[in-house]
Amino acid sequence: MVGEEAITMMDPAGLKAIGAGLAVGLAGLGSGLAEKDIGAAAVGAMAENEALFGKGLILTVIPETIVIFGLVVALLIS
Amino acid sequence: MRLFQKLRRKGSAAASSGSSNYAYVTARVRAMKSNLLPKETYSRLMNMDLDEITRFIGETQYKQDVDELARKFEGVDLIEHALNRNLAVTFSKLIDISEGELNYLITEYLKNYDIWDIKTILRGKYYNATLEEIKDNLVSAGQFKYNFLSEIAEKESYEQVIDALSNTDYYPILMNYDGTNLPDIENQLDKLYYQRLFNAIGSPKSSDSKLFSKLIRTEIDIKNIKTMFRMKKEGVEDGELEDLVLDGGLRLSLKEINKMVPLPFADFINSLEKYPYWEAMSDLVNPEMESLVDLETSLTKYSIKSAASFSHEYPLSIVPIMDYMISKKNEVSNLRIITRGKAVNLDDEIIRNQLVI
Repeated sequence: MVGEEAITMMDPAGLKAIGAGLAVGLAGLGSGLAEKDIGAAAVGAMAENEALFGKGLILTVIPETIVIFGLVVALLIS
Repeated sequence: MRLFQKLRRKGSAAASSGSSNYAYVTARVRAMKSNLLPKETYSRLMNMDLDEITRFIGETQYKQDVDELARKFEGVDLIEHALNRNLAVTFSKLIDISEGELNYLITEYLKNYDIWDIKTILRGKYYNATLEEIKDNLVSAGQFKYNFLSEIAEKESYEQVIDALSNTDYYPILMNYDGTNLPDIENQLDKLYYQRLFNAIGSPKSSDSKLFSKLIRTEIDIKNIKTMFRMKKEGVEDGELEDLVLDGGLRLSLKEINKMVPLPFADFINSLEKYPYWEAMSDLVNPEMESLVDLETSLTKYSIKSAASFSHEYPLSIVPIMDYMISKKNEVSNLRIITRGKAVNLDDEIIRNQLVI
């Protein structure tokens, strides 16, 4: 009867929270990795030509969409 | 998958030199490349006189160099110094901003400026050139800094110069210099450069050093072809061949070169047809050709073009950086050709033929 008890211990709300956390957290890691190189490249280009600041900024934050997807999923779950 | 490869490479390279920052350097180099003078500029420069050219150059990326040197020099000398200084500053910047394997490869590649400077100083001493003349031709784009070089140049005799270089890699070769065998020593220095470059590449493991070695070996091929044409034109026989051509070309091995050189000129040209470099030469070579200027320009153009197309194929690698270095060097030499040509009143047509655009 110990097993049954353990199953009833798992709270669905808690699992949802873990799922939501994973969705946002992993998506954040992914976009961080993607932005690393783009950010470095943008700073490099900016060092030579300051007019590239706007373009560099926009390109750098494009992978940020991944986090937004993660956030949407997290909101849908919870 | 790429991420795994990268992590693995990082793990293996970390022990020696840390990881390379390709994204940063290539983006920066591309921005620098967009600052190079466009093709149309050269025809405009051809129509200007020296003062106008100086003013024009002073308004471009060479501004700082021209401004700082304007107190000391004027006219052609000013342009020459500004160009040399700009080249040195630009290339040292590449060494400064790169990391890891990339830094190592660039440093090895730029060592030819160190060799160039040593040669310049020794030649200067040999022909009793003045200190000013020697200093005019120093380009501190390699590991040696300008102060160090000018200190060496101030030494009285070649023995002292060589002593001052005693803790560099070039000392074992320089030791054999006895004041007369300058060409021999120069050849050996050049060979040492390529030997070290090949050592640096080793048996290429990472894709970057593979690309690097391909570019270097193409460069060697083109140098060898130029040397062969010069030898044929001047009637140098194969006895000195070993000393003059470089081993390790991509398509032309030393064996093939050995076979090609003794051929009569017409057959020699035919034997070049099977190499990819032929497309750069086909219109220009014929058995009665007089001048090699067009051919050499076209071959240089070929190497610039192949580096450029290569750099589009491999955007995040050492190739765009090599491409920039080659183009920058070419821009500086073009500007130098125009100003020097104008200064001695050369015909426009002659100057134009020398330009690699």
